[in-house]
Amino acid sequence: MTATDILCLVPVLPLAVGPLIIMIMVAIKRNYELTYGITLLALLLGFAFIFYTIPFVPHSIGPLFVIDHFSLFFLGIIILSALLIVLISYGFIKKLSGFKEEYYIILLTATLGAALLAMANDFVSFFLGLETLSISLYVLISFQKRKRLSVEAGVKYLILAAASSAFLLFGMGLVYVRFGTMQFDQLAAQLIYPVHLSPLLLLGFGMMLVGLGFKLALVPFHAWTPDVYQGAPTPVSAYIATVSKGGVMAVFIRFFFAVHGYQNHVFFIIISAIAILTMLLGNFLAIRQKNLKRLLGYSSITNMGFIIVILLIGNKQGVQASIFYLLIYFISTIGAFGVLSVLSTEDKMVETMKDVKGLYWRKPWLAAAMTFSMLSLAGLPLTAGFIAKFYLIFEAVKADILFLVFVMLASSIISLYYYLRVVTAMFSKTGEEEKTYPALSFSGGLALSFISVVILFLGVYPGWLIEMLIKFVGL
Amino acid sequence: MLTIPIEIQLLFAGLLFFLGLVGVLVRRNIFFIMMSIEIMLNSAGLVFIIASAHWKHPGGQVMFIFILAVAAAEVSIGLALILRVFHHYKSLDVEAVNELKDEVKE
Repeated sequence: MTATDILCLVPVLPLAVGPLIIMIMVAIKRNYELTYGITLLALLLGFAFIFYTIPFVPHSIGPLFVIDHFSLFFLGIIILSALLIVLISYGFIKKLSGFKEEYYIILLTATLGAALLAMANDFVSFFLGLETLSISLYVLISFQKRKRLSVEAGVKYLILAAASSAFLLFGMGLVYVRFGTMQFDQLAAQLIYPVHLSPLLLLGFGMMLVGLGFKLALVPFHAWTPDVYQGAPTPVSAYIATVSKGGVMAVFIRFFFAVHGYQNHVFFIIISAIAILTMLLGNFLAIRQKNLKRLLGYSSITNMGFIIVILLIGNKQGVQASIFYLLIYFISTIGAFGVLSVLSTEDKMVETMKDVKGLYWRKPWLAAAMTFSMLSLAGLPLTAGFIAKFYLIFEAVKADILFLVFVMLASSIISLYYYLRVVTAMFSKTGEEEKTYPALSFSGGLALSFISVVILFLGVYPGWLIEMLIKFVGL
Repeated sequence: MLTIPIEIQLLFAGLLFFLGLVGVLVRRNIFFIMMSIEIMLNSAGLVFIIASAHWKHPGGQVMFIFILAVAAAEVSIGLALILRVFHHYKSLDVEAVNELKDEVKE
């Protein structure tokens, strides 16, 4: 290992060292505030080191990892989202009964897994990153082990994620049988299009797609999403919707571009079908939801459908648009889940439409933050979500996939209905019994105000971020 | 040394995978589902071993060791969860563990 290798790995080192320090600390004496502080410090350090690493990229570390602007940007998105989720978790986790410090240990290891995925350039690192992430998620989802639903969600996720990992692995194995290499760039070198895809290879790629589809909750592999989102503790739902999908999406994009999947006719048809189904079905299922966590689960399905459209655009601009979209979607989703988690306590989870009805008259600031997130998810002008959707659709139009553009527009319009339904519920008057919400913690307030400001600011001045993306990020 | 054609080897791995998949789909006891998942993971490991022998490339064997380690980690979490499931539901039947559903419309 050379010095440059270590310098390039510096952003993920705090994520690896942080859990160890917390584990030793917990063994000596449990202190919630200190654990929380170390977690924040680890994530902040990781985020700061990304800027320090920029001059050394692109750089490969052995065959396993590649650090370039693409992985650094994803790393930034992942660590930032994890940071926001830690901030919104503070109040909710603090009031849990039983051990709480472990939450932060496992959250850091999960983030480490996602970060490794963003850098993976080989089946080995791909698989290990993915499993570090998934196994941590099993624990996080069933973290409220005294609640039946949390345990149920954990078991459901465990069974489906483990089975889908097996699919992914088997697919990888078949690709490896055919090419004798597990590195993405060596695979790319052997796959010069137009190539005849043997049935074995098609089966291999198909099984990999099944595995990845499960993790990203693409239709028809989406059935676990609403159940798991509902059962998991609210900050963890935010985590599954954002960090975990970000990591998997990073490796998916890198792999798909490495093998030039968009040039292959069969893949093109399959991915378009999945994208269309994912965009539409997620919406239709969300329309009739009254549980907000399930609604956001379906909304995450729809949004993933939007992002995989870029796999079909197949150029650098498409990747830039999708990264921008991913960032905005993450921030808005964390905002929405964040409001729900700062309002929830262990005994009284705030998750249905009825729970947030009339929120504006009790907690106007929280209702405002939720409104911004919802409007941004819906893609209304003056919010960041509008710019993100516009940018993505613009690139799709340029790439001349008009049918998908039409579906994207239709899906955006349908989604307005259920996002706005949440907003109207919050602003409607209720004459019902007094609802009591817990007091807002400082860190929760900080995260939510940051999110609201970012949504509004990027909605008005998105130029600098897009310029930065265009300047740096490519594949 | 007698060599078995690679198609037959892969077919064997595929058969194991299929057995595991059928187990996951038809079994109702969480224990057996976990065992079937193990079979699926190990059949995938077998494919890596086959490829590694075929190409004389050690990567596949390294991968198999990683798969073993990951499967062990998965099972340890899975067993802990099964304990919690039994504590809550007094049953290991997956049909019983199904309270999270879409409830539609007021």
